[in-house]
Amino acid sequence: MFHWKKLGKAFTPQEVQERTWLKEFAQAPATLVMDDVVRVYFSCRPPADAYGQYVSYSAFVDLDRQDLFKVRQVAEQPILALGGLGEFDEFGTYPVSVVRDGDIVRAYYAGWTRCESVPFNVAIGAAVSRDGGKTFTKMGNGPILSYSPDEPFVLSGPKIRRFNGQWQLFYIAGRKWKTVDGRAEPVYKIRMATSDDGVHWNKLNKDLVESRVEEDEAQASPDVFYANGKYHMFFCYRYSSHYRGKQNGYRIGYASSSNLVDWVRDDSKAGIDVSEQGWDSEMISYPHVFELDGKTYMAYLGDQVGRHGFGLAVLEGRLE
Amino acid sequence: MKWLKHGKIFDPSEHTLANGCVQFAQSPQALVFDDFVRIYFSTRAVDTNGKFLSHIAFVDMRKNLREVIRVSDQTVIPLGGLGCFDEHGIFPMNVVRHDDLVYGYTCGWNRRVSVSVDTAVGLAISRDNGLTFERIGPGPVLAASLHEPCLVGDGFVLVIDGVFHMWYIFGTVWKKYAPDAAADRTYKIGHATSPDGVNWTKKESRQIISDQLGPDESQALPTVVKIGSRYHMFFCYRESFDFRKAKGRGYRIGHAWSDDLSNWTRDDDTPKLDGTPGTWDSDMQCYPHVFECDGKVYLLYNGNEFGRHGFGLAELQP
Repeated sequence: MFHWKKLGKAFTPQEVQERTWLKEFAQAPATLVMDDVVRVYFSCRPPADAYGQYVSYSAFVDLDRQDLFKVRQVAEQPILALGGLGEFDEFGTYPVSVVRDGDIVRAYYAGWTRCESVPFNVAIGAAVSRDGGKTFTKMGNGPILSYSPDEPFVLSGPKIRRFNGQWQLFYIAGRKWKTVDGRAEPVYKIRMATSDDGVHWNKLNKDLVESRVEEDEAQASPDVFYANGKYHMFFCYRYSSHYRGKQNGYRIGYASSSNLVDWVRDDSKAGIDVSEQGWDSEMISYPHVFELDGKTYMAYLGDQVGRHGFGLAVLEGRLE
Repeated sequence: MKWLKHGKIFDPSEHTLANGCVQFAQSPQALVFDDFVRIYFSTRAVDTNGKFLSHIAFVDMRKNLREVIRVSDQTVIPLGGLGCFDEHGIFPMNVVRHDDLVYGYTCGWNRRVSVSVDTAVGLAISRDNGLTFERIGPGPVLAASLHEPCLVGDGFVLVIDGVFHMWYIFGTVWKKYAPDAAADRTYKIGHATSPDGVNWTKKESRQIISDQLGPDESQALPTVVKIGSRYHMFFCYRESFDFRKAKGRGYRIGHAWSDDLSNWTRDDDTPKLDGTPGTWDSDMQCYPHVFECDGKVYLLYNGNEFGRHGFGLAELQP
């Protein structure tokens, strides 16, 4: 079993001033390590509209590399505009994952649209930054990864990686919409696609991680990290019903693989759980593991799926 | 070449249809058998919100294309499940024989909030000569992509020299032409190929048919037939807004030809299909489907009100 020592909440969106598009939430942290800061991308929301509906933007916060609890700056603007009328990302760009490709930074993000019979649908878009990850230009006004026979809806949660000269995109795909108390709730599973260029993708068309708590378990945030001879995946999972509280809410799971395709799940090794009290006492979710100056960190969300920000934990020992 | 018009040949109100459908027989698509022709069409039921749901049905006709043998009395393909691309309708479904199977390429409709709808192309397969179809999966085989952001639909498939060719439409923009108007869409015709009919490669955002009405022209329902050594495409086109009732802005039939399946020359005038004043197709001609039967080339199409009252037939004269 790993042991993650919690360091506390590192970023609180409510403390940021003068940004109308950033009132609350700092969801799905994803890092880009720079010379003197760690740039953490996250997704946030302005106040809900008159009908109680949200849009999501993505932005970043730069944390001091010497002291990750010191905020150096917050993005002045969202890194991506919402899509145009009828486009897949008209109502949200959340979450985002970034990777360096030579001099550019590529971002993969989930775009949200609103539907009539279910509340939303999601597909994965791509964008490019030529200024070190400060601003991004969309590669097109449609998605780079969309629906297919076995992945009919809700393609979300992209995590971009580059191992062995290839590109890997880990993401989630909707399996079913389950009606719970008259409300449609999405069930989704962890999937993967590979690419030679980051643009043209081949889906593996396979669930990477078996379901554990129930058949309709929803899985998200497949965060893959290579260390000590194998691939480690931290992810989060929840029940399909009544998951907005402690009982059925998100927890962090773990799986490992030697080849990126075949994964063995063992949540008992994850080594991080909800706290007795405090900001992450009801749920923990959206893990992201990164290495910095000889240490291994995990950024993650607490209660209400990151409404009040994200926190950090540091690994004691090794990932093996 | 010119069209010899035979008039309206099918009126849905004269038949009892499955799924509670009462009007519309849109986008007729033919599957030719030895001694009859099965013509699929999209008809409509009304759901609890008062909105339409398009369902696929068929009529079997003698090869004179006049005499009705029977009309489908059961569901040919059910609509998609909650949240799926084809939850709110299938319109149209193009059918093509492959080995002993019939492949049905569906255009699935799902309702949106800021715009009325989005679409994608699905594949369903029939093992009973087209009586019923089963999806290969709950999702589509051709959907929106990086440079085709919405409204991928209207697939028409031919297998040529072992390669599957699909002509389809892709949305280019949703636009409000007046501040308080509902958004209208514009779509153009594209081309994709596949080795197996399942995995498709699109030439993304390549509009293969030039505009006659300018950038606000919407092009729909491509259908292709080979006559001699030349491929002919028929489709329908209209203005992108105020096209439902305004004179001269609604659907009419376009035509283009190609000798290499890549470069198309538009020529709407030869052959030209004109509406006949005072009849069922006087104001609109849309949703064409060309097919060969016993050495003749036929055109099935809809007339006024987008096919609310049925479809008609024309025959190509050399």
